[in-house]
Amino acid sequence: MTWRTVVGTLATFVTTIVVAFWLINEPARMKEAEDGFAGRSMEAGAAIYENNCTRCHGPAGGGLVGLAPAINNPALFDGSRLAEVGWAGSLHDFVYSTISGGRPLASSGTTWPQRMPTWSTEYGGPLRHDQVRDVTAFVLNWGRAYEEGITALQNPETATTSMEPIDAVGIDINTPELPPGNPDDGEALTVSLGCTACHIQTEVGPAWLAENHPDGTGIGTRSGERIDAADYTGAATTAEQYLRESIVRTNDYVVEGYEPGIMVATYGETLTAQNLSDIISYLITLK
Amino acid sequence: MSLFRIHAPILDDIRSDGLMPTLIAKTDEVVTRLTAGLNVEEIRSVLRGDPPKRPNPRVKPHADGFWMHMRPTYFHEKVMTLYPTFRLGWLSVYFLVFETITGLVLMLWYTPSPLTAFEDMQNIMSNVPLGLMMRDLHRLGAEFMVMVVLLHMLRTFITGSYKKPRQFTWFTGGVLLLLTLFLSFSGYLLPWDQLSLWAVTIGASMAEATPVIGREVNLLVRGGPDFGANGLLRFYLLHVFALPLIAFIFLGVHYYKVIIHGHSLPPKEEEIGVDTARKVPMEKRSYFLPDVLTKEIYWVVIWTALLILMVTVGNWHAPLEPHADSQVTPLHTTAPWYFLWLQGMLKLGDKVFWGVVAPGILVNFVFVLPYLEVGPSRRYIHRRVGLSVCAISIIVFSWLTYMGTPYHAVSSSPDQEVVAALVPQTHPGPVRTASYDELVPGEYSSDKWNSAPTDNLREIMETFDHEINKYGNELPGAVGIMNIVDWQVGLKKVTLSVVWNNGEDTFTQNVYVHEDSKHGH
Repeated sequence: MTWRTVVGTLATFVTTIVVAFWLINEPARMKEAEDGFAGRSMEAGAAIYENNCTRCHGPAGGGLVGLAPAINNPALFDGSRLAEVGWAGSLHDFVYSTISGGRPLASSGTTWPQRMPTWSTEYGGPLRHDQVRDVTAFVLNWGRAYEEGITALQNPETATTSMEPIDAVGIDINTPELPPGNPDDGEALTVSLGCTACHIQTEVGPAWLAENHPDGTGIGTRSGERIDAADYTGAATTAEQYLRESIVRTNDYVVEGYEPGIMVATYGETLTAQNLSDIISYLITLK
Repeated sequence: MSLFRIHAPILDDIRSDGLMPTLIAKTDEVVTRLTAGLNVEEIRSVLRGDPPKRPNPRVKPHADGFWMHMRPTYFHEKVMTLYPTFRLGWLSVYFLVFETITGLVLMLWYTPSPLTAFEDMQNIMSNVPLGLMMRDLHRLGAEFMVMVVLLHMLRTFITGSYKKPRQFTWFTGGVLLLLTLFLSFSGYLLPWDQLSLWAVTIGASMAEATPVIGREVNLLVRGGPDFGANGLLRFYLLHVFALPLIAFIFLGVHYYKVIIHGHSLPPKEEEIGVDTARKVPMEKRSYFLPDVLTKEIYWVVIWTALLILMVTVGNWHAPLEPHADSQVTPLHTTAPWYFLWLQGMLKLGDKVFWGVVAPGILVNFVFVLPYLEVGPSRRYIHRRVGLSVCAISIIVFSWLTYMGTPYHAVSSSPDQEVVAALVPQTHPGPVRTASYDELVPGEYSSDKWNSAPTDNLREIMETFDHEINKYGNELPGAVGIMNIVDWQVGLKKVTLSVVWNNGEDTFTQNVYVHEDSKHGH
């Protein structure tokens, strides 16, 4: 019995000491655990952002021309954007509520053509509130690059960091006069805007490339021929004008065999004159 | 004036005997009442280890006190040693109480709702002083409790203690074993993380296999077609109310039977077919006070110390995976370890037979065992068949448990397996637990793992290479590529790709790693 008493007393003593030390260290441990969960929240938020947000806001938050503004954006983190929209709450609440409820109205000073959808399940979106919080944590973490002056992780795409709306080209096929286009930029735009989804891979819209079209001619050749066709209902007089009309006034003339109203009809509001010119200059080369 | 005259006998005592003697006598009286019969002098004599006087005054509390009345006055000295009981019954009770205490603490900080349950877990772990320790102790205690109760049953079988007159004790023990399993299983869901949701989904899917009423049973268990708010609330109420209540009731019955029949002696101590546990000769008695009580306190202290040291110095922590998501099924989901044998049986074939009928027969067999196996001898030499069956059962159950793990007969695409070995969905894995600073941005290839710049990177890429080589036939010419870029301040994006068939096939997965995330801590 004696050795049991000794071992038991010793065990009690050791355990008490260990718990006492644990207790002394508890505030530091709790802080570390809290930071850990905040870190994991950003990890989760980054993955959710990748799956849901990149299509409009770009993979690195740089925004996409004609679609959605940059959120990896100094104006968001220095308070100027909050002041601009007259937001009285915190930046966290601004971002959290924007993600949760979307933007049913264009926010102050902008005329982005598309409205941001709701994301939180509370508003009928797909994300749980903890997921919205994760994305918020991830978005806010972009601010550290500006706070700490780490230029390598700031948004490199200065062209789209503006929260200002783009100077849209409109739906008139004569004005404004288009600047000279760059076919390479135009080709890139047809990919990023998703044109190729319907005009190359599937039969939803007429194929651009000669080898994919039953006539054996490319869109560049056909656009010159269409304006002289008997059933042509549009107002274009040149191949370039025909392409411009087809992009910004999609239902003025629909090629026989295709349905009107299928093609997105808002390109006049989402493309700049330069974007439009680039795309036309690319399409015209597809003979 | 007589209205205000009070009569305090102690004043008379003080007047006649003096202050100190009166106080000493009163103290003695209070102590004797609190201990239901032991005065100060006797307690000191117990603590000194003096032999009891005749008649033994230390048996009085057993007659007069509520708690002591539940405990026997003396044990047979042959059951005081480690063999034959290994103290497993006592330890089972200890863990039930231990789990109740730690569970009550956790209950203060937990709301059974999918909206808050996971956040409550994070709060317990990061914002409640000793919260992490309580959660770890509760989880670790649960694992030990299942083990201890299982071992207790095994011991009872091996020593033949289930035999007449203890058949019903065995039966109630069987009920307690089931209750222990379901107590642990119902607690599994409460953190509402991926691990819990999917482990419990696996378990509950067996309910669905019930013939005829499978759909109804499933709805009853889950509170809907899938686990949601209703299912969580049901499991919570089972876990904190219904199951513990039934467990304490059955514990009462079980223990009452143990006391009624006495602790069964080691088989060789008795004549065959005779039970002498209740007839303990004077010289073989080991009195509860102080011998039994000392040993019990000793084991409580040792186990409490062991558990606390494991979750502090031993760095054992209950896992917490990402928030439960019914849309995202982890690559490998397993039931809790004590139900893996069931999962293994399900891989044998028909869900109804192997998932419901066979386990049902097995459990019922365990319950009625003492009524079927009525051989009078408890001696090992006379129970070759029974003990052999027991040994074979242990082997079969171990094998079935192995079969229940993902290592056996689970087909999934090897490319995904390789990536999942590095960034698993149900635990952190080597990439997330690597030192943040050692994840140097750049592109690394598994075939040149040795040229990676840091220790952690070399370890990760060597694992990558090793995993790919395991699937040499299915992934011809495969190479693993890991690309790390600084994504934000304090956040890196890690892209893992497996490329095979001369670059024709690829599988890619991205994970993000934050410098503070402390996975695996």
